[in-house]
Amino acid sequence: MSYAYLFKYIIIGDTGVGKSCLLLQFTDKRFQPVHDLTIGVEFGARMITIDGKQIKLQIWDTAGQESFRSITRSYYRGAAGALLVYDITRRDTFNHLTTWLEDARQHSNSNMVIMLIGNKSDLESRREVKKEEGEAFAREHGLIFMETSAKTAANVEEAFINTAKEIYEKIQEGVFDINNEANGIKIGPQHSPSNPALGGGGGAGGSQAGGGCC
Amino acid sequence: MFQRPRNWINQAIWKPRNPHSLEHLKFLYGVLAKNAVVTEQNRSLLVETLRSISEILIWGDQNDSSVFDFFLEKNMLLFFLRILRQKTGRYVCVQLLQTLNILFENIQNETSLYYLLSNNHVNSIIVHKFDFSDEEVLAYYISFVKTLSLKLNSHTIHFFYNEHTNDFPLYTEAIKFFNHSESMVRIAVRTLTLNVYKVDDKSMLQFIRAKTAAPYFSNLVWFIGNHILELDNCVKNDADHQSRGRLGDLVAEHLDHLHYLNDILCLNIKDLNDVLTDHLLNRLFIPLYVYSLSHDGGDGIRYQQDGRSRVSPVVSLFLLSQVFLIIQHAPLVNSLADFIFNQGPQAEALEEEQATNSNQDPSSSNPRRFTPPAETLEKSLEASIGKGKKKHKKQPSSRNTDQAEEDGETEYTEGNSTFYKDPAELSDTGAEDLSVRSVSTRERARGPIVGPGHWLMGPIDGQAPSDYTLMYPRSSESQGPAVRRSKPTAAISGDTVMSSQNITDEEKCSRAAATGVRQTESTTGFKRRYLDAIFDTLDCGNNDYEGLFSLCLLYAMGKNEGIREGLMDAVAMPSVHSPTKQHYSSPLLERLLKVLELSTKQVSAVRVATLWLSCTLVKQLVLSRDQCYLQDRHVAYVEGVREAATLLLRMFYKGDEIFLDMFEDEFSKMKEKPLNVEYLTMDPSVLLPPTGTPLTGIEFDKRLPCGEVERARKAMRTFFLLRDLSLSLQMKVEDQLPLTKDSELIKENEKLDLNNSDLIACTVVTEDKQRVRLGDVEVTADKEDSRALHVQIHKPTSSVSVQASPSSYKPMPLLSAKFIFDDHIRCMAAKQRMTKGRSRARQAKMRLISKLLDMPAAVSPPSPTPPVHRTLQMGAMRMYTAHPSHQDPPPTMRKFGPVPGFAQRRASSHTSPSGRRSASPKGRSSPKAQNRSLQHETSVEEAREAILAETAEAIPLQDLSKQGRSFPQESDEKELSSTNLSPSLRPAKAPPASLLPRHDDGDRPSYHESVKLTRPADPDRIRSISDTSSREGRKETRNPDANRRRSSSDGSGSRIKPTWHHGAHWYTGDNDDSNNGD
Repeated sequence: MSYAYLFKYIIIGDTGVGKSCLLLQFTDKRFQPVHDLTIGVEFGARMITIDGKQIKLQIWDTAGQESFRSITRSYYRGAAGALLVYDITRRDTFNHLTTWLEDARQHSNSNMVIMLIGNKSDLESRREVKKEEGEAFAREHGLIFMETSAKTAANVEEAFINTAKEIYEKIQEGVFDINNEANGIKIGPQHSPSNPALGGGGGAGGSQAGGGCC
Repeated sequence: MFQRPRNWINQAIWKPRNPHSLEHLKFLYGVLAKNAVVTEQNRSLLVETLRSISEILIWGDQNDSSVFDFFLEKNMLLFFLRILRQKTGRYVCVQLLQTLNILFENIQNETSLYYLLSNNHVNSIIVHKFDFSDEEVLAYYISFVKTLSLKLNSHTIHFFYNEHTNDFPLYTEAIKFFNHSESMVRIAVRTLTLNVYKVDDKSMLQFIRAKTAAPYFSNLVWFIGNHILELDNCVKNDADHQSRGRLGDLVAEHLDHLHYLNDILCLNIKDLNDVLTDHLLNRLFIPLYVYSLSHDGGDGIRYQQDGRSRVSPVVSLFLLSQVFLIIQHAPLVNSLADFIFNQGPQAEALEEEQATNSNQDPSSSNPRRFTPPAETLEKSLEASIGKGKKKHKKQPSSRNTDQAEEDGETEYTEGNSTFYKDPAELSDTGAEDLSVRSVSTRERARGPIVGPGHWLMGPIDGQAPSDYTLMYPRSSESQGPAVRRSKPTAAISGDTVMSSQNITDEEKCSRAAATGVRQTESTTGFKRRYLDAIFDTLDCGNNDYEGLFSLCLLYAMGKNEGIREGLMDAVAMPSVHSPTKQHYSSPLLERLLKVLELSTKQVSAVRVATLWLSCTLVKQLVLSRDQCYLQDRHVAYVEGVREAATLLLRMFYKGDEIFLDMFEDEFSKMKEKPLNVEYLTMDPSVLLPPTGTPLTGIEFDKRLPCGEVERARKAMRTFFLLRDLSLSLQMKVEDQLPLTKDSELIKENEKLDLNNSDLIACTVVTEDKQRVRLGDVEVTADKEDSRALHVQIHKPTSSVSVQASPSSYKPMPLLSAKFIFDDHIRCMAAKQRMTKGRSRARQAKMRLISKLLDMPAAVSPPSPTPPVHRTLQMGAMRMYTAHPSHQDPPPTMRKFGPVPGFAQRRASSHTSPSGRRSASPKGRSSPKAQNRSLQHETSVEEAREAILAETAEAIPLQDLSKQGRSFPQESDEKELSSTNLSPSLRPAKAPPASLLPRHDDGDRPSYHESVKLTRPADPDRIRSISDTSSREGRKETRNPDANRRRSSSDGSGSRIKPTWHHGAHWYTGDNDDSNNGD
């Protein structure tokens, strides 16, 4: 119930790439993948453990708000992690990644961890986007990459958890200002009073001491 | 998979094997029916049942319709509701909400959806009082209602909005969370509201407007305003840039709000927009933003005490710019702009007076003020909807009138939700407005015309009639009500009529203004307008803190699509849309020119961004597509300023490489990243007082320069911007810049003419296949292999940039290749050629710069070398311009010892053939040996140079002394590169000058080459052709170590360092030369 941190995620990508299915698959294990059933949900939460700490993931699907500019931009800002999903059986969903990424980079805070996900890896026979292409795209843009299948649950767990790990590491490094909830990170109830080293975020100042006046 | 259910329901009846079947649903129904009462024992069972139901239903929706029929037939949603009502706690609640979420998210069959919604159970669930203090329950609830809102359309809306009972729980329940502390919840609410407004259903929208618009918008506006106060606080208390992150969030939040408001306004729902506009103007934009323009920070306390909040003028200018950049809704922006143009603080005072006068009657005092709504949104919703229902039963037609009278004490309820509706009442109050209490805002808010623009009626009454800019709007407004009243049923068209009338009047007005811009100004001169306050901030003598935002605001107004042209013309500020710009505001233009002038001062508080924006604004004011309307005297002024900028840059001019690099770098940066005002107003860092230190991480544009180098860079920017301005105003096209034109470069796949060039065979080993168009080439001898050369082509430098972290100093090479020659002789030769080609290309550029700056011979640059440099170079390049310094006899320079280039020049006269010859023995003995001998040469040179440099302003003395010491020592045991890099060697930056003499007489053949060579190195070319010597024109020798060193040593913070390096690496080639020569 209580957690050390709460991370807010958003899921972005073209419609029909299986975002809400991924979400349900991860947040609710009771819905086991069945072949004749496509089922998804727009919101979900789940507790995971990283480094012995309880971390709650809250995942918001952003589907359906594309028509309003104000909505898209605010969603990005409130999240600590984003899953950028495309469908390996549809080339166009892969081609749109750049646009999605631009949007995300423009509106999100710069520390947001973005994970690229090629979904529907179970449909190998209909594959249109090679795994290598996904990897190359991810490398080029500095994303983590993984191919998943919401149908078979392959890699779904890993996708969300690896993203969380990345965020967690950034917190440890002091990159995220965790006292600022606008980052999509919330400190758990029992955790809030003490969190020494990470506050302020001013620590970064030391590294850029160069270039002063002369 | 159905392991668990089976265990839990041992007592249950027969359980089907297939979890996805009608039978299973029937079974689950049995479970639900048997466990009507939730207990501690059956909770888990119920939760699993609810979950399974959602699964089966979706499966049924996709595979077997009978499943759904059974669900509806048994009215199973009712069970959900019953379970919910037992207050079963989070566990069951969350499951129920998830099940509902899944149901509505996944059902594709429309009839199923209709059936699900048809029995009103969903509405009952929506109004259920969940435990919203539980963040998970709230999150599931809010995504449930959001999911529902996504299903809204003109058919489904009737399941949620009940016309007869005037009930719309989905909307009214959701908006209660509009100011929830959780951002995702707020976003979901905003999504929902937009989804609701989007549905084209008249009666529903009517309901929204009449019952909820005023409370919702007034609360929303209050919420936004409070964010602003927080933002203002943040700015006031953060002079040292500590909480920029927090400030950034607040700024982004405000932008989110504005975008949200704009999204609503863009849906073009007339009635809704009127209410929203009214609230925004009279509760936020005018009382909080505009009124703050005329108050300095000191007033803040007083105002806070008597309940009227103010923000600092900087913040208010910043916010107003954002408003005008984002919101284009004509009635809103017109009224706001009009108010700013024509009203002044006295309008506010007037309002205050009225407010106090009418204090006896609290219900009538509704001044334009940033005040909290009288009650919470929840309460007023309850009140208005509750009453509405009651009234509805009695006499539906006069419902709103009655309510208005009863609700006199809740200002917004009557003020806004009624008058927009009831035509009968409209005429009444309208008449009252004009006669009895014409100035009260409340009446204004009540009259039909009130929304946007009607504030004019009040304040203006107090004005002298001689002021005709104000007269016109007023007369048009007063026609407004008449038009409306005559056809009250067509409120919408009424507005159109009104606005068209306004345009006519504005045209008259602008014509009036046109015939006498000055006259208007003098007539209005007696009273201070907000516009004047804005103009006044343009005085950037002390700082441009406010000035920058005033410029943003004026720019945004000029760009805004919603503002009528007449309005801008009336204040003589032609917008981008104005077809003709004959009449521009001289006071404004002169202020802008003053900003330009200030920026050319040696010590100036004008930041690059401010200058840039001023230039843009000048163009916006006087430049139309094919004509410039600038008056002659102003043209002269601009030219004068440009001249001053040239002079300023001339002071920084040095004939060295660093200057060239910076010059090109600044130009390309300026072109690559043009000023974007929208981005500028997203940047929280500009909200804080301007600072000079790069440590804050603020971009160079947006802060003051720090140190000599940055001042030089700023001078360059100033020069570029003003040159660009001057050229644009003269309708001329830039033909001098950039120094390297793309068209003159060697393109990929273009053939090189290698006739008459020495070919040196080599093998090329590349690691990378990127294309390059323009690059900076770096050649290094391979320490291991004397036959190999490493060639690196860098992107045109951004290496000099300071504000970034040290890591960005390392330029990413575009091409990194290893050229392997047959032997080291050829290798050395090739290296020499490339080095020379590079320096020649650069000298050609230096010459261009000095031409651009009109460097006269008389104006001697800081160090004595550059003139020589120029002269000689010119000779070499056969550029016989009328330059006076051309006559300087180069030989003199050669004779006199002090010229640093002396030795090298001599050496270079031997040129490539000799170079190759002499290189061979040394080359064999490894670069080290070679370097050592060179060092002695150079050190002498350096010393000489140092003496010279003493007179030169830019070189600190202590460096010289250090240099003298360190050089000889190092030369003995250290490699060339390291010697060069020693930080003490700063004076070395002058040496480039010394190269010049070589070219003019010494090196005829290579001169010819150099002409070809000035072209950019094309990597593909380089790779494909087995020769280096003649093609490498634009390539530049650089020691890679230099770069590395630079980045590592930069910790010490010297800005000059890059300079020095450039000078230093240059020696690499040079040393070779002189060595060879000896």
